[in-house]
Amino acid sequence: MQSAQKSTTSPLKRLALHSTTTCSSQATAYGKCIVATYTDVRKDCCKHEFEKFGQCLRAAVCLQTRGHHASPLTHRR
Amino acid sequence: MSLLPVARRVAPRCNLARAFASKTPFAAPTASVYRVFDRAAKRTQKDRAASRDGGERSRTVEYVRDEVADRMMERLLDIKRRFDTIVDLGSGSGHFSKLLEPDKTRKVIMIDSSGQTLNRDPDDDFEVQLERVQGDEEDLLGILPRNSQEAIVSCLSLHWVNDLPGTLVQIRETLKPDGLFLGAMFGGDTLFELRSALQLAEVDREGGISPHVSPMTDTKDMSNLLGRAGFTLLTVDTDEVRVGYPSMWELIEDLKDMGEGNAIVGRRHFLHRDTLAAASAIYQELHGNKDGSIPATFQVIYMIGWKPSPTQPKPLERGSAQTSLKDVL
Repeated sequence: MQSAQKSTTSPLKRLALHSTTTCSSQATAYGKCIVATYTDVRKDCCKHEFEKFGQCLRAAVCLQTRGHHASPLTHRR
Repeated sequence: MSLLPVARRVAPRCNLARAFASKTPFAAPTASVYRVFDRAAKRTQKDRAASRDGGERSRTVEYVRDEVADRMMERLLDIKRRFDTIVDLGSGSGHFSKLLEPDKTRKVIMIDSSGQTLNRDPDDDFEVQLERVQGDEEDLLGILPRNSQEAIVSCLSLHWVNDLPGTLVQIRETLKPDGLFLGAMFGGDTLFELRSALQLAEVDREGGISPHVSPMTDTKDMSNLLGRAGFTLLTVDTDEVRVGYPSMWELIEDLKDMGEGNAIVGRRHFLHRDTLAAASAIYQELHGNKDGSIPATFQVIYMIGWKPSPTQPKPLERGSAQTSLKDVL
């Protein structure tokens, strides 16, 4: 079951799914933070909001691919 | 006077740099001054896109091309002339050529640098006689002789050309006198939403930006370029095609299937996933529609130009008018 799921959805597809549905509230909070300061964005200016968003993504992706070591957030093709 | 010490300080360093420069084994750029896009990478991208799933994937994402080809065909139909041959430069899979009918032309020559794209669709899809030539759009004079064509059209391919002024000159050279050039290309505001979302995400996450969306020609530059290339009776106008997507991810995937991925020289070959996720969130917040979808704008510049000929209508000599404009108004 799990391997079938893995073959049908690529890591990027899973990231796309979770960033727009599962973690949409954190995504909105992060987006709002950037939009509030978007004339003066610097590195890590919304670090706090992104950490929450990233945690949610990691949790969601790990839940789906339990048993796989590589988290799509740190995996590069 | 106060500049002098600065100049003295700078001068030895300049000389040193020049000495190094003259000893490097790399040849200085001579032939092409304009090199923004990696044309070889673009050809590979197009080949891959056209062969993915036997061409099905690229067929489903032809919505922008089909729409623009349709609007360009309206402009061609406004020209009351039947052509013997029309050259479709950068034809792709023939989205424009497929719309041509026998009462407008006898034959069409499709030229594209990507062989897979060029040969994707069978001849039955076209209503007029067809010739396919695989060749570089930037080297038109190497494919066709001078003063040989009645009409050259180009639908959504010139935005990947490095030397746009040079290519326009070659198009004019290839045309017979009073020949027509009709073109459509993506202009400056194309994908500005994606551009800004990626830039903001990269600044916040990584602290710097890298080009992901091509630099594109401005509308006002286009008429200057056409004029400089020696076309007359110019018509340039712009139009926008706005497409809605569920999220940034679908937009990026469709762009890839269109063969319109990033091909800027010196681009970064990957985007960190953190940055992508951040860009998706920013795109949604900054540009998103109320219903949760996101818009993507494609700005299209349409241009018509003619190769000069003594038979063309010209303005009368200055001061030769018989009636006063004051009486008419």
